[in-house]
Amino acid sequence: MGSSHHNIELKISKFQPALAFKYSAYAGILIGIIAAVFGLFNNPERMWTAYLVAFFYFASMGLGGLFFLSFSNASKAGWHSSIKRLAESFTQFLPYMVVTSIVMILGYKYLYSWADPTQIHRMTGGKEIYLNFWFVVARVIIFGLGCLAFKHMIVGNSIKQDQNGDVKYTEKNVGNSIGFIAFFALFFTMFSIDLLMSLLPSWYSTIYGIYMFAGMLQSTFAMLALVVIFFKNSKFVSGYITVEHQHDVAKFLKGFTVFWAYIAFSQFMLIWYANIPEETEFYLMRSHSGWIVVSIGLLIFRFIVPFLALLPREAKRNDMNLAAVAILVLVMQYIDIYWQVYPNFNDGVPVFGFYEIALFLGFFGLFAVAATQFLSKNNIVAIKDPRLHEAIKHHVTY
Amino acid sequence: MAKKSISGVAGIFLTEGKVVNAARKVREAGYSKLEAISPYPIHAMEEACAIKRSPIPYMTFLAGIVGMLVALALTYYTSVIDWPINIGGKPLFSLPAFIPIIFELTILFAALSSVGLFLYLCGMPAIGVPPIDKDLTCNKFAIFVPDTDKNYNFETLDRMFKDLGAVEVKKVTEF
Repeated sequence: MGSSHHNIELKISKFQPALAFKYSAYAGILIGIIAAVFGLFNNPERMWTAYLVAFFYFASMGLGGLFFLSFSNASKAGWHSSIKRLAESFTQFLPYMVVTSIVMILGYKYLYSWADPTQIHRMTGGKEIYLNFWFVVARVIIFGLGCLAFKHMIVGNSIKQDQNGDVKYTEKNVGNSIGFIAFFALFFTMFSIDLLMSLLPSWYSTIYGIYMFAGMLQSTFAMLALVVIFFKNSKFVSGYITVEHQHDVAKFLKGFTVFWAYIAFSQFMLIWYANIPEETEFYLMRSHSGWIVVSIGLLIFRFIVPFLALLPREAKRNDMNLAAVAILVLVMQYIDIYWQVYPNFNDGVPVFGFYEIALFLGFFGLFAVAATQFLSKNNIVAIKDPRLHEAIKHHVTY
Repeated sequence: MAKKSISGVAGIFLTEGKVVNAARKVREAGYSKLEAISPYPIHAMEEACAIKRSPIPYMTFLAGIVGMLVALALTYYTSVIDWPINIGGKPLFSLPAFIPIIFELTILFAALSSVGLFLYLCGMPAIGVPPIDKDLTCNKFAIFVPDTDKNYNFETLDRMFKDLGAVEVKKVTEF
């Protein structure tokens, strides 16, 4: 469409993270390692619970980036091609996810009652087979290596395309992406059941994997919105990343806010209605003393506030408003995973302190270093993507 | 908001680029009541015709809130006042059980009132209005300026449309 308002100069330059940011990320990793080693000898249970929450938080974000790329590739979307490198940078956490998930095997005996051989006989209904220690370890490793392989193919093809612009890479990625979505649907469900739901091994919820998936994508889009706002206003790129892409990412953020509420309510209402003891256990733990505050807080700050704050069109195109909502969602994602883990260890009293902050900083440092290294090594826009022209003139009418 | 029985002048165009350009030029010449007619949505047209944002989304939101309150009242009245039944020992007013109904009525009110308002704002259904040109639903585009527009002048517009690449200029007596 030959309208005149698209004449914006297109240019990109090499991305260089601010030195302060780089040093903070390395300092975060250092703090995380020190806290982990210190906790290992002083308070291993508390250290491993903090580790699990931070691990799952950033694993979700890395996986969410790959999932976003996959469904966009599979649906042959064009609008995302100018921001896809930013989502690709999230997936750079996946190698660290594999390493840290293997490290976490050391902590299983503090976290999970099924990891204790004297407890395993108390489980029934085939759970003693499913939650066998080595069977869980095998699933977690297969999931990690599988995701890593798909990341290698999908992101690798995108990087290779920057050299020659060959369309075959885009075509190949459609198949890879469909393969990843199928693999991910099955294994992420098991991943969340193995690492979070099995903290309470007597509890059942068949929707649990989807619940963690909804939170994963909501927080990934919140992070993507922040990064898009940063690059839209930065000097490294101009013309490629615009308010139109920000608007679409914000729409996804709002969409998955609603999806999260829908799944969370579906899980809650069926359990509440049926009122079967082995199912209500989970919500009973979270509906008294300190935990009820967190539970109600999730409803208000993870659904009602972000939903209303993203409803008007201008709210999604306003940097300050969108960034505030994105940060709120990122905080609530942490609280959500925390809410899955901690009531199993601290009945009635939410605790938060040194270990939670230090391990979060440690994982954040790993994530930030992986992502910024990737972005400073490669072009921040996939300049040879055959659908890039669609992204450049992308225009969100409503 | 097209009302019945408006007369004016219409320029017929054959390409999307020409009609978008013509819309912008005609508007810039001071004709504020122009209408663009196209067989399919054209993205650049909102900007070219200076179409304001539709009020429908705000109405949708308000109607949704009304639907929510109606559903809340309905569930409260039926399960607490009119026919109280103890189900599974749960309180008579059990919000989680009512959420699906509240959700459905919120959506129903929001959706139906959006469609209703859309039809009203478009002046539909308008039956028996003679078309400016039958091909406007197929392969042609038009810019229509009603004679109620200030400084409306058939000769000026006729010349302007032809300069902008109109293949035909029609005097419309009733639209």
